[in-house]
Amino acid sequence: MFFLQYVMRRAFQNMKGNLFPNLITIGIIVISMLIFSTFSLLAFNLTNFLKIWEDKIEILAYLKQGTPSSEVEPLLRKTRLLEGVEVVRYVSPFDAMTFMETKLGGQKNLLGGIQPTVLPPSFEIQLKKDYRNSTKIKEVVSQLKKIPQFEEIQYGQEWVETFSVLVHILRLTQWILGGLLLIAIVFITSNTLQLTISSRREEIEVMHWVGASPSFIRVPFYVEGLIQGLLGGVLAILFLFLLHQGFLLYIPPSMQAWLARIPVLFLPPETIVWILLGGMVLGFFGSIVASMRVLKYK
Amino acid sequence: MDEPIIEMCHVFKTYPSQISALSDVSLEISPGEFTFIVGPSGSGKSTLLRILFSAEKPTSGEVVVHGMHITQPGFKKIYQLRRKMGIVSQDFKLLRDRTVNANVAFALEITGHARKEAKNRASEVLRRVGLEDREGDSILSLSAGEKQRVAIARAVVHSPPLLIADEPTGNLDAKMILDVMEIFTDLHQKGTTIVFSTQFTGLVKHYPYRVIQILNGQISDGRRVDIHQEKEVKAGE
Repeated sequence: MFFLQYVMRRAFQNMKGNLFPNLITIGIIVISMLIFSTFSLLAFNLTNFLKIWEDKIEILAYLKQGTPSSEVEPLLRKTRLLEGVEVVRYVSPFDAMTFMETKLGGQKNLLGGIQPTVLPPSFEIQLKKDYRNSTKIKEVVSQLKKIPQFEEIQYGQEWVETFSVLVHILRLTQWILGGLLLIAIVFITSNTLQLTISSRREEIEVMHWVGASPSFIRVPFYVEGLIQGLLGGVLAILFLFLLHQGFLLYIPPSMQAWLARIPVLFLPPETIVWILLGGMVLGFFGSIVASMRVLKYK
Repeated sequence: MDEPIIEMCHVFKTYPSQISALSDVSLEISPGEFTFIVGPSGSGKSTLLRILFSAEKPTSGEVVVHGMHITQPGFKKIYQLRRKMGIVSQDFKLLRDRTVNANVAFALEITGHARKEAKNRASEVLRRVGLEDREGDSILSLSAGEKQRVAIARAVVHSPPLLIADEPTGNLDAKMILDVMEIFTDLHQKGTTIVFSTQFTGLVKHYPYRVIQILNGQISDGRRVDIHQEKEVKAGE
C-alpha cells in the first residue's frame, strides 16, 4: 500500500516537475494514436459495409435458353444440395418480366412488345451465412459452373473483389502506419522520460546511495510512461469521437441518401479498450527503454 | 575474534585508459574499527571506497562486505549492501529543493519507512549532529560544515553498522573539521565501524585510530596511532 502510494505520488510529481516535455509527449501520442484510430475506424466501417452488402449477396444462375421445364425441378433439387446453398428460387421468364415492370414503375410501357420468353429463366440462390464472402462465394460459383444447364453465373464479383481489396489495403496501411507510429511513440516516451530522469539525477543518485531498491526507483517512471500512454489514448479516442460526431452532423446532402442505409459507426468498445491498452503498453515500453539506458544502479 | 566486516583480497583496479588505480590491495577491517585511508589526491582512496560500496567493480580480486561477496559475478543486491552502510562524500550530495529534515528523512522514506516515523527519526539524528535548530531550513542556507553534518545525519539515520566517508572534511575549514570529526568519533564510540578517507596526514595524527596509507594504488598498513601513548611518550621526554 505504502509502495503504491509512493509510486503514484512520485509519478505525478515527476510529471508536474516536467510539465512541458510531458505535454509534448502526450500531444505526440495523441496525434499518433488519432491517426491509427482513424484508420481503424475507416476500416471498421468499410468492413461493416462489406458485411451488410455480403449479407444481401445472392447468386443469379441463368439457365440456357430452351432448357425443358421438366429439367427445372431436378436442377433445383441438385442446386439445393450444393454446399453453402441455403435457398434456391426459380425465376421464370414471366416472373422476370413482372420484376422488371415493377422496377420500371410508370415507365413499364418501355417493355411493350417484348415477349417474356426473350428473358432467360434463372435461379436466385441465397447462401448460408458462412458462405457470404468473396472467397466462399467463388467455391459455390465453381460448383455451379460445373452444371451444364447454366448459361451464366452472376454474383457481382467485381464489386465484392474491389471492395475486399480496398478494405485489405486500408487494413494494411493501418498496420504499417501503426507500426511506424508505435516505434515513434516508444522513442518519444523514452526520450521524455530520459529528460525526467535526468532532471532528477541528483535524487536518483542519493536513492542509490541510501539503498533504495531498483523497483522503488524505476516503477514511478514506468507508471509515468503508462499514464502518458493512457492519457494519449484517451484524448485520441475523444478527438476521434468528436470528429465522428462532426461528420454525422455535417454529412453533405449528396451523401445523405447513400448513407441512409449504411450506418456510420464509431469504434466498438473492445477496440477502444485495445487502443487504450496499446497506448499504455507503448508508454510503459518507452519507460523501460529509458530506464535501461539511464537508470543503471551505480 | 569477530569476523571482519570488510575483506579485500588481492584487489586490482585498472581503468579502460590503462590507469592503474589499485594494485594488489588486501586488507581486513574488523567491526567497530575506525580506519583512516590516507593518501594524496589520485592515490586510489576514492576507488577503494567506491569498490566497498559497489559503485565500482574491481578488475580482479575478491571483496567481502558484511559477509556479501560483492565481487562475485551477478551480484545484484547492491541496495541491500547499502542499507547496511552509510555513505558520506566530500560534495555532500544533498537535495537542494528540500529542507534539512526532509533530506535526512528521505533516506528512510525510500527504504519503506512511514513519513511520520522518518521525520521523527531524522529530528533525533539532527539533534545528535547539533542541527536541531535548522531542521526546517533549506539546504541552500547552510554553511559547508552544516551541510556535511546533514550528510552524516542522512548516512546514519538508519543506524548502519558501517560508515564509509570519502574525504568528508575536504571542503571544510579547521573549525568545521573539528566539529565533523567529533561526530565521527561519537559514532565510533557508539560502535559504528568507520572507514574514513582523507589526504590530510595532519588530521589523522590527532586520533588514535588505524591508518592505512595509500600511494599509487598500493597500501601500507599496520600502523595504529594511539594518541594517548604518543602524549605519554612526549611527556616522558
